[in-house]
Amino acid sequence: MDYTLTTVAPIVLLPFFAFVINAFIVKRFTKLAVGISCAAIFGSFLYSLKIFIDFLSVYSTNYYIHKVFTWFDLSAGEHLFKVNMGIYIDNMTAVMLLMVTGAATLIHVFSTWYMHDDPRFGRFFVYLSLFTSAMLGLVLSDNLLSVFIFWELMGFCSYSLIGFYYEKEGAGNASMKAFMTTRVGDVFFLLGILAIWSVVGSTTFVDMYAALAAGKLNGIMILGIPLATFAGFSVFMGTMGKSAQVPLQVWLPDAMWGPTPCSALIHAATMVAAGVYLSLRMYPIMEAGHLTTFIAYIGAITAFGAATVALVQTDIKAVLAYSTISQLGYMVIGIGVGSYNASFMHLITHAVFKACLFLSAGSVIHSIHCQEMPQMGGLRKKLPYTFFAMLLCCFAIAGVPFFSGFVSKDRILGDALVMATENKAFIGVAILGFGGALLTAFYMFRMLFLTFFGEPRDHHIYDHAHEEHIGWNSNVPLLILSLFTLGLFYSGSFTGQGEVNLFGSKYEWFQTLIKKPEVSTVAQFTDYQREDLGMTDTRDKVALTKAAYDSTYGLSEEKAHHIHVVHRIGAVLSIFIAFLGIFLAYSMYVKKTLNPGWWTNKFAAWTRALKNKYYFDDLYVGKIIQKGLLPFNDLLSRFDMGFYDKYGVDGWATVNRWAYSVSRWFDNNIVDSGMVDGTGASVRLMNVVLRTIQSGRVQLYFIVLIVVLASYVLTLRF
Amino acid sequence: MFANTLFLASACLTIGGAIAVVYSKNLMHACIYLLASLFGVAGLYTCIGADFLAATQLVVYAGGVVILMLFAIMLTGGTSNKVNRFGLEKIPAMGNKKTFFIASFAAVVSAMIIVKILIPVLKQNPSSALSPNEPTVERLGTLLATDHILAFEISSVLLLGALVGAAVISRPRKEIHD
Amino acid sequence: MISLSSYLFISLVLFLCGIFVMVARKNIIAILLGIELILNASALNFAAYTKFLNNNLEGHIMSLFIIVIAAAEAAVGLGIVIRFFQLRESIHIDDASTLQN
Repeated sequence: MDYTLTTVAPIVLLPFFAFVINAFIVKRFTKLAVGISCAAIFGSFLYSLKIFIDFLSVYSTNYYIHKVFTWFDLSAGEHLFKVNMGIYIDNMTAVMLLMVTGAATLIHVFSTWYMHDDPRFGRFFVYLSLFTSAMLGLVLSDNLLSVFIFWELMGFCSYSLIGFYYEKEGAGNASMKAFMTTRVGDVFFLLGILAIWSVVGSTTFVDMYAALAAGKLNGIMILGIPLATFAGFSVFMGTMGKSAQVPLQVWLPDAMWGPTPCSALIHAATMVAAGVYLSLRMYPIMEAGHLTTFIAYIGAITAFGAATVALVQTDIKAVLAYSTISQLGYMVIGIGVGSYNASFMHLITHAVFKACLFLSAGSVIHSIHCQEMPQMGGLRKKLPYTFFAMLLCCFAIAGVPFFSGFVSKDRILGDALVMATENKAFIGVAILGFGGALLTAFYMFRMLFLTFFGEPRDHHIYDHAHEEHIGWNSNVPLLILSLFTLGLFYSGSFTGQGEVNLFGSKYEWFQTLIKKPEVSTVAQFTDYQREDLGMTDTRDKVALTKAAYDSTYGLSEEKAHHIHVVHRIGAVLSIFIAFLGIFLAYSMYVKKTLNPGWWTNKFAAWTRALKNKYYFDDLYVGKIIQKGLLPFNDLLSRFDMGFYDKYGVDGWATVNRWAYSVSRWFDNNIVDSGMVDGTGASVRLMNVVLRTIQSGRVQLYFIVLIVVLASYVLTLRF
Repeated sequence: MFANTLFLASACLTIGGAIAVVYSKNLMHACIYLLASLFGVAGLYTCIGADFLAATQLVVYAGGVVILMLFAIMLTGGTSNKVNRFGLEKIPAMGNKKTFFIASFAAVVSAMIIVKILIPVLKQNPSSALSPNEPTVERLGTLLATDHILAFEISSVLLLGALVGAAVISRPRKEIHD
Repeated sequence: MISLSSYLFISLVLFLCGIFVMVARKNIIAILLGIELILNASALNFAAYTKFLNNNLEGHIMSLFIIVIAAAEAAVGLGIVIRFFQLRESIHIDDASTLQN
């Protein structure tokens, strides 16, 4: 299949056109608008599936499609200023497309059940379409500039969706908070784009890899730090904002103010995935900037910290929100420890099980109109399908073997452990990672047990749970998603490291196809001419070399053995930890052999800190905004009034008034009296002369005619 | 001999009529003198063999234009009081010393122009040999119907226009005021 | 005796008389008489040149057209004069000076 810009564009344009059409018709034809949205996203899904199958049939690590067109060209001579737009599809994009469209389709279907009582039923789908279209555009983008455009578009959509119930004050504040917090990261992201552009002259990923390989970034300092570090850090700040990493994680828990399906979309398929996806794309520059340790620690702190906060949450969506932050932390750890492939895999697997978890939570909330877990309990008889889906997802997120979360998270943790054995700096990362895994298993099963097990704690709510309203369009998406929490879809092997082998093939497709963009392999594109971008740039199939699928290829026997051993230890450790977490939760909330109250009393200060989310909100609002930004704002306004207004604006007014009086004198005396009136006077004079000639007497005219004719003829010489 | 006599008589009649038009104090007389001058011109035409022209001159001028002018004079001068209701002099002035002086000035200037133009023409001494006179009617008719057909048709349209125009212009209208 | 110069002299006298009448008289009909004189002078010139120069009758044609135009002019001019008289009860040329200034 020969993909071109126009044949790939429908993936993005179908939801986008759905958005445009629905924006007009949604008020009067709500049902039709919903149908259009769902059909559009389903069409995108089918197209993505086709692309994915095509890529699988090629089955090559290095196969990609890159089509470019020139958006605008302001080049002048030597100075190149050409902005290209294009699509870039490699294996990662293909998988990403499938995940986004698949999850979005199921979320659309679920939303038709969840939102159908809402007065703004149709509008929700308008936003969903735009949101999905922006995410698909981001995934397909071949350069940072269009990534940024779609990135901001998603920021806007998340703002609208989080503030969907804008009549609630909390929703409005939460949407503003999300928008503003991600904006902090976006400013840095834009700085990073500019830094890269200033050196590479293009923002295309391929150009950037080529420039890195050619060593163009070496030795360039910006503000006293190497450019690669600066750019990598700036872009990673964007990821921190979008993917809710530690200093900027505050918006994500508040994002649950939106309707639950939109939380599913934000937390799984689109928004937070975009940040990690960007970091994966920009991995070479972060590696070149020596940022991996920093990134790994950011991820580890996020993963562990969010997991601890999740322990004390009572709101079912809050638990899921913190688990999202925690899992995103694992992905970032994966980037930091060089576990590129596993990090991306965790992005996909997490998207699937988190979408399923949120949809399940939505189904629970919609059935009992309550979000507080202490008021639930015993719901597994009322909502059997929801319970089943949620159980599978909890197994997946906790890292139970044979489930997807185990395959990806174990690989990240294994790689973190390998790094820790090689470099002492990474020991903290490994410890925090494994600790977070324990907490994850614990709080997820705490949520599950509190919701579905035991006796109903609030019989009023329990008795009024209208399970009869649950229809196919709520259960089918849950069951499909929960099916894909099984590990075998992502990895044929037991631990994901290719040692124990379930299906007879030694190397599973995920590990084979997704490779970090190594600068040395891109180096063969240094002759890539930017002027030739208008043409197709598809690479042919490249035969799979051993290097392409064996992570230990090229390493010494000893080292390879060491990695295998550490991975095995990691796998055993994470299985043990997962079961330990589940066991603790079981004994606390089902068997009641351990009393959670005792723990909260024992560590009261910690509990308070956790309930207050480590005081991040207080810090931001109380300290940074109240103490820092508002006085600064005051100072600026005083500067504005006292200096700019007084001297700049008023001073300029004085100068103008003086100039005005000069120009008025000139106007009155020279222009008006001299030129305008002078013209009039001369015309009046000529009028007096000419009037006497124009006497109206024909005979006078005749005489004048004769005289003039005579004076002409008499001067002639024959 | 006859031709010379006719020429002399015609020339005298023409010049004398023209001068009489100039000096006549009475408009009606002036008109009759003009008629005489036009008859003289017709005679001059016959002297150079332009028989059709002479006939046309007599028919159109003597039969048409001068009669028309006589009618106009009679239509405009037929009341007894000399001043009309606007206080304007109704009986046309035939000129005074001042106008005659200006007119002689204009005539002298025109004479100077024409003489200045004519002198080189006469100096070339064009052949004065008189060709024998022939009837011109047939040739004129042929010329008018072939070479000059366009001008002929246009002049017919012009005449029609003049006819209609004169009728429309001089038609007495209903007075809207008083 | 019958020569081009004599014809030219006659037409000159006719022309000058026409000019004199046009300028000297204040009566519109008299001015029209002068115009007739001038037109006759030019027509006579054309006929004379035809006779004494090439004898191809082109001049006669011109004279004919001049007569035609003179007739038309006289008709329209006298119509205007009569109309003017109906309006103003005057045929003084200086009374027809509303276009002045």
